[in-house]
Amino acid sequence: MAGIDVGGHGGKRAANHEIPLIPFIDFLLCLVMFLLVTAVWSQMARIEADAKVPGPPKETEQDKIEKEKELHVEMKGERKFQLIWREGSTVVIQSDVNRKEVMVGDDVTYPDLAKKIEDEWKANGSHRAGSDKKFDRAVLHTDNSTEFKHVIAVLDAIYTPQRDFAPAGGAGEKVPAFSVTFAAD
Amino acid sequence: MSGNKALSRFHQPIQVAGKRLMMHVPLEFVAKKAAGGGGRAMNQEIPLIPFIDFLLCIVLFLLASFSASGELPIDKNVKLPNASNAVPMMEAPVVAVTGTQVLVDGIPAGSVRAILDSNRPGKIDELDAVLKAKRELWKQLKPGQEFPGNVILQVDRRVQALVVKSVFMTAAYAGYPAVSFMVGKMGKGE
Repeated sequence: MAGIDVGGHGGKRAANHEIPLIPFIDFLLCLVMFLLVTAVWSQMARIEADAKVPGPPKETEQDKIEKEKELHVEMKGERKFQLIWREGSTVVIQSDVNRKEVMVGDDVTYPDLAKKIEDEWKANGSHRAGSDKKFDRAVLHTDNSTEFKHVIAVLDAIYTPQRDFAPAGGAGEKVPAFSVTFAAD
Repeated sequence: MSGNKALSRFHQPIQVAGKRLMMHVPLEFVAKKAAGGGGRAMNQEIPLIPFIDFLLCIVLFLLASFSASGELPIDKNVKLPNASNAVPMMEAPVVAVTGTQVLVDGIPAGSVRAILDSNRPGKIDELDAVLKAKRELWKQLKPGQEFPGNVILQVDRRVQALVVKSVFMTAAYAGYPAVSFMVGKMGKGE
């Protein structure tokens, strides 16, 4: 067993002490068990989706809502996605992407769609400056029968383009370029 | 000694102590081992100090990797999808949507079957009432503060979009416009 020898012989009390290793090992084992039981092995995260609903009425006059370009992502067909930039009800640009899903384990991903959305935002996005507090808006249209895993895969693709965000100047952070909402149809 | 010799002429019920185990086996190496005459020592010391060092390393590793930020109760009937462009979790009411029912913090607040039967997105009355009650409670507990309106949807990956839209719509109407979907983290390279 481990001990501490301080060498004294003349005192009344023994100066040599044994370190109680066995209780110490028991304590460590208990600590290991507790940490293993309470450990979180799968980290959860979240994907944002803002509901475009009016807030409570304000006493001050509301700002005039400007018509801005919005990217509408239609996932209603079996074979392709439609990307439509709209300004109000006016269609500005429209393009199609093949609905080619890539499986990652049990999860679905759409890398082609993600690439196309990134290109579209670089070409047509309105809010790209780091100091800009507003974000481009994307609206997701989907069939009622679509499984949620496909909806999340498309949301994930829409959040692929990233931009700098530093509203107060200085060093900014990378944030998704779009804020996404669901279409009510 | 002379006493012993005198006694040895008779049957003795009490025998002199000594090695007995395996001594009757008529093999030389067994007798040697049983008598303790083997080459290697039978007793071994457990190396305690490296063992403690090892345990300490495990404890330190577990403490370093311990994090409560992503710790949220997940309903056992919900299998979440994974996404790569996800952001860290936050504190908010959790609405779980399993294959059969809608739950708010574990309390039933709607039936998935009823939503599917209606065949169009609409407000779920029970969920609306529970979420509004939660909002009112929050306002009573924190008077004067602005309600953040955050809610986290914990939706099973096989649930149909119709149900998701209905829950999303109900949450928005109940005063929770900042909706987030709980997902697992997928590596960027995957």
